Formats: sequence, C-alpha cells, structure tokens
Amino acid sequence: MPRTFQVDAAELESRYKQLQAAWHPDRFTVADDSKRLQALQKTSLVNDAYVTLKSPLKRAAHLLALQGVDAEEHNQAHFGADFLYRQMILREQLEALGEQEDMAGLDAMKAEVSSETNAALEEFEALYGQGQFSEAKQRYNRLQFLFKLLDEIDAVEENLLDY
Amino acid sequence: MALLSISEPGKSKPPAHAVRKRAVGIDLGTTNSLVAVANEGHAHTLCDHAGHCLVPSVVHFAKDGAVIVGDAARNHGANDAANTISSVKRLMGRGIEDIDYDLPYEIVPDPQGGMPLVRTAAGDKSPVEISAQILRELVSRAESELGGSIDGAVITVPAYFDEAQRQATKDAARLAGINVLRLLGEPTAAAVAYGLDRKKEETVIIYDLGGGTFDVSLMRLEQGVFKVLATGGDAALGGDDIDRLVGQWILEQAGIGESLSYSLRNALAAVARDAKHTLTAAGSAEITFEHWTGTLTRREFDGIVDAVIDKTIKACRRVLRDARMTVDEIADVVMVGGSTRTPRVRERVAEFFGSPVHTEIDPDKVVAIGAALQADVLAGNKYGDEILLLDVIPLSLGIETMGGLMEKIIPRNTTIPVARAQQFTTYKDGQTAMSLHVMQGERELVADCRSLARFELKGIPPMVAGAAVIEVMFQVDADGLMEVQAKELSTGISSSVVIKPSYGLAEKDIERMITDSFASAASDKAARALQESRVEAQRIIEALESALAADGRQLLDESEYAALTDGMEKLARLIDSDDADAIHAAAEALNEASLVFAGRRMDSQIKTALTGHKIQEYD
Repeated sequence: MPRTFQVDAAELESRYKQLQAAWHPDRFTVADDSKRLQALQKTSLVNDAYVTLKSPLKRAAHLLALQGVDAEEHNQAHFGADFLYRQMILREQLEALGEQEDMAGLDAMKAEVSSETNAALEEFEALYGQGQFSEAKQRYNRLQFLFKLLDEIDAVEENLLDY
Repeated sequence: MALLSISEPGKSKPPAHAVRKRAVGIDLGTTNSLVAVANEGHAHTLCDHAGHCLVPSVVHFAKDGAVIVGDAARNHGANDAANTISSVKRLMGRGIEDIDYDLPYEIVPDPQGGMPLVRTAAGDKSPVEISAQILRELVSRAESELGGSIDGAVITVPAYFDEAQRQATKDAARLAGINVLRLLGEPTAAAVAYGLDRKKEETVIIYDLGGGTFDVSLMRLEQGVFKVLATGGDAALGGDDIDRLVGQWILEQAGIGESLSYSLRNALAAVARDAKHTLTAAGSAEITFEHWTGTLTRREFDGIVDAVIDKTIKACRRVLRDARMTVDEIADVVMVGGSTRTPRVRERVAEFFGSPVHTEIDPDKVVAIGAALQADVLAGNKYGDEILLLDVIPLSLGIETMGGLMEKIIPRNTTIPVARAQQFTTYKDGQTAMSLHVMQGERELVADCRSLARFELKGIPPMVAGAAVIEVMFQVDADGLMEVQAKELSTGISSSVVIKPSYGLAEKDIERMITDSFASAASDKAARALQESRVEAQRIIEALESALAADGRQLLDESEYAALTDGMEKLARLIDSDDADAIHAAAEALNEASLVFAGRRMDSQIKTALTGHKIQEYD
C-alpha cells in the first residue's frame, strides 16, 4: 500500500484478503511447526496492519510514528484553552441530550462533530503532506478527542435506542 | 500454579501427516452431537443401524466402570438419573460457583480449583473426560463407517465460547485422541454447509436458535474469504424457554399452581414440547395435562413464541449495529438449530431482514456438515477453490491494571489470529516482580470480568518506579486460544505461558457482561475515575515518602517538612473516601506543595553527580 493518509478502501480489502489467503494457518495444517508458527505470526501482523490502515486515527498515529514523532506525548497547553473549553461544553451538551432523550438533538450534534472531525482529518492530511509533522501531531491529538466524543455520542444513542 | 501450564510458544500442536486424509466434522452439542464426513465437496452425517444420526450428548457411568453414550445412556436417565450425565457442555470451562441451576446429578468442587467434577458410581469425572467419551463414540461411529482410523477433525464451538470453554473443548478432543484441525465457530460452519459460491460477494446472517442458546453472526463473503464481521446473542435463550412459556400457559388454563414436583415439572415440559412440535405443521394442538384437556391454537402459540423471538431480534439489531450495517445489506439468512423449525420464528426473521431464510439443510445437521466440508480441506485434500474462514474473538481480552481496572488489549469482534502488545511500568522503587492477571469481558472493572489466568514475572532488575518497562504480548490463534508472553524491555527477561483457564463465569454472564457494559458505562466511568484518583494519590504518597526518607531532613526546614507530612496524612485519610474529586484535589495540592522540595533534590543530585569529576572534563 502507498504510504499516504488517503487509503483506497477497495485496494486495502483486496490486499488484505490476498495476504490472508496466502498466510492463514488453515493453509498450513499439514506443514511443519516452524512454518505454522510463521503463518500465525504473519497473519497476526496482517490483521493488525489491516485494523491500523482502516482506522483514520490509527493510520494517522502510524504515519507520525514513521516520521519518528511520538503521537501520544502531549500536555494540556498543547491543545489551547479554546479547544479544551469547547470539548467540555460538548460533553456537557451530550450528557444533557441523553437525559432529555433528545434524538433529534443527538443527530444534529453527531453531524456537527462529524464535520469538525472531517475538517481536522483534512487538515492533518495537508499538514502531513507538507512535512509539518509537529502541526500534524497537534491535529492528531485533537482528533483523539473528537473520535472519543463520536464514540460517546454513539453510546448515548444506543442507550436511547435500546440496543 | 494450577491455572497455568507452561510450554514453548507455537509448539502446542502435534505435527500433522501428509498423505490422502480421512477427516470428519464434529458438532459437539449440549443436547445432541453429530459426526459428518465429506468427499469431493459433498458431505453427509453418519447414522447408526437404526438410522439415527443424532447422538444424544448423554453419558451413563455404571458401578462396574462400564460407560454408555447416546440413546442407550439416555434411556438410563429415568431410572438412574444420578449416573446419567447430560448437558455437560454447560460445565465446560466453568467453575462450580457458576452452576447456579439444578442438575439431576451431583457435582463437587475440583480440589485443584478447576471445573466442577461430576460424582458418579464410577468415581468423579471432569467435564472434559465426559465430553471426551462423547467424542470417542462419534469417532468410533465414523471409523466403523469409513473402515479405518481418522486423521483429524474439525470440532465446532458456539461463536460466543470464551477462551476457557474453547480450551476445555480442545482438551477433551486431545483426551479422545483426536487431532484437532481447527475449532470452528458453529455459525461459520453452517455458512460453509450452504456451499457458498466463492465468486459471490455478499453479506449473510446466521441465525442459530438451539435448545438453550441463541447465537447470531454477521458474515461477509468476498474474494473467497468468509469473514465474521460481528457476533452476538444470548447464551440463555432457546427452545427450552418456548417450552417453559407454553407450560406456564397450560398451568394458567388448567388452574394449577406453579409449584410442581420434579417429575411433574418434567412431564409438563414434555407435554409442552409435544404441543410445540405438533404446531410446526398443524393449526392447533390438543393438550392433556393431569386432569385438564384443552386446545392451543397456532395463533395463541405464536403470541407465546413472540416473547422469545423479540429477544433474538434485539440481538440481531445489536450485531448489525456492531458491524455498522443495515438490514438492506443482508442478502441471505441461514437458519440453524432445532428451534428454527417453528414457523413463527422463520416468519418473523424473514420479515425483520426482508430476505428469504434458508432452511433447505436440516437445521440440526447443518453445522456438522459444514464442519466436515472444512475438515476435508484442512486435512490437506485440496480442490483448488477453498474458501478461507476468518473467525473473531467474541469477548474482549485484557489485563488487570492498578486499582482493579480492566485494560482492554484486544477488543471483541477482532479477527483472529491476532497479536497485540501493551507496555506497563513498575509502580514502586526497586520493584522486582510484577503479577499479571489476564481477563476476558466487556466491563471496566476487573470484578465484573472473567478471570482467565494469573502469572508472575520475576527477576525485573530493581530500578526507580516507572523505569522498568514490561511488554505484555497476547497471541490468539485461529482456534481462539491464547498465549501470553511478558518481557522486560531493558533486559529482555521473558516469561511465556499458554493460558489454561479452569474456572469462570456462567454462560449467561457473558451475555450479561456485554449488555451491562453498555447499561453501566456511566457508573463504570465514575468507578474508574475514583480508582484512578486513588492510584494516583497512593503513588504521590509513596514517592514523597521515599524522597523524604532519603534527604528530606537535609533539604527542608522544620516547617516545610511538617507541611508535607501533614499534606500526606490528609491525602492518606481521603483515599478511602468515595469522593474522587476530593482525592484528586488533595493529591494535586500535595504535588504542588512538594515542587520546591523536588527542585532542591534535583539541584542536590546534580551537585552530587558533578562532585568527583575533574574540572577539565567540563571545559
């Protein structure tokens, strides 16, 4: 796969399946121990790579790591007070929507956070492409907040829909 | 340690052979088991002389040591219930504390702390031994039909089976002398039985409603790879519940109270089951129970069954949600399990998914047939168009961290095989051992998850807290069995184990663990915050204590020293309270107050480090 932030989903699926078909332990049931151990390790790695490339967040962290940037290292000041304040407000808003069982409000919030997330993803891609890794890392750290928030919105939604 | 058996990683399987193979598929069920064999892509189940293909999963132990399996054993049930062991699958990989329901036979704790033992006239038997008896019976049936010994078998397990249950199943096979080619998920096997065309691309649902369990899996077929995308269900829901509800209806109609003797309860269940079977084809069923006679119409029966179906539909919605898919994307629904014979079940499932349901293959045999087809391929009999089957782990795997929290390392629905590593650091100065507690479940608190194993990593070089980094690697193979390796990164000290868990939660707890994790996300979070603040506070206190003991008296005056010890005592008192915010605030305050001390220590250490060096070294 090319080392870019944009990933061709169809190509990823196809490559993944080719590698699985070639290395899955089921293909080595009659092989010797070392070959089987190798198959186990290879497919584990392939599964991990697939999960990493499929998730925009994990993909971003991996691309930063390839540039020697430790994506997880950060402090509060790094985010800026405005961003943190807004995150706090959004979480309070989410909690209120859950309590009021406001599905329409939840949908609106999800749309808003999704578009903010998409914007941050585009910024990350652009900054990374320009080699501005420290700026890109800052976007990544913001994306961590946003993806977590999206998960939390989903959880509240599932709760209301009684999944 | 009784829970663990240590072996070299990746060497746990016996070597396989290389000529033309005889392999079978085995469906080791709770109520009935089957064995099937395939040749050139066609499979059939093996039956006895009387034409019975289902082998009741019942084993009878006589005083003289004679063991009978299947129909003959079941016939003993009425007159020798205590030595007639049924439903042993429910004991596999479980602890005695999980068995909170009545059994017609006696179970006793295992002195080694493993699965409960079944007390029989022939001595105490483990669930693994009893399952091995059933497997031997199936294999001997296959060998007499095929006229020779078999080389290997694919054994199916419910998709929701956790690591302990899978391990117990594999142990039973090993005990029966079977070379296990693969433990295959039951829904995956059912999908294979329908002989999916490898050129097709589609998403299917496998709906498996058995006697006591419900299992639903969402699978995607593409490029010859058949992948489980999500799996779920209810480990305590099935045809038995339908019988129970019909029984209740009979009691209401007959005006009989609910407290019945054991034999009367069994009689009621049998009458209810007969009525259910009659209603599969007929529009109404005549029922006689005690002195009452009445009629149950299909319409009334459908109303009763709907309560059970509603729960299964809910689990289907959950699985679609987990895979982020909608019913429109489902091309086919495969029906598995005897309870899918009920017309109302087929009707409601077809209606929910808006697609035809497949019932062409006998729902009792479909799993064994799929397993046989896959066994034939895995044994090395290649036909060039094999479908590759990718299963997932049904419950998240993780490890206990400080303060009783579960840190998820591999989330549920992750495709196997998979390996994931996680790093942990030491918590105290000079810490030389670290114990690892491996868990499976969805909740944040360890107490709510299932314990798989504990082991200890010794010989960590003594360093200051946080300096030693331990990497823990989880490896889950294609059978869903786990191996854990731990390694201290600076010195490479490694400890590797194959986890062999021997006790745990009841099956219904698995389902509860998943649904609860959702319902209690908020309370878990609060509990987690509290635990984290306690851990943080404890760490600050210990760090400060050791620093004060080292050079507190030299670097601080009397009042500074007293201020810090006061702060420490205050925090220590708060740790046991339930107020996370107060603990956090006090910990912050103490941390703040110790900054001056920390600064002086650093200066002093730099001075010490410089002392003894010649000046010119720094020129």
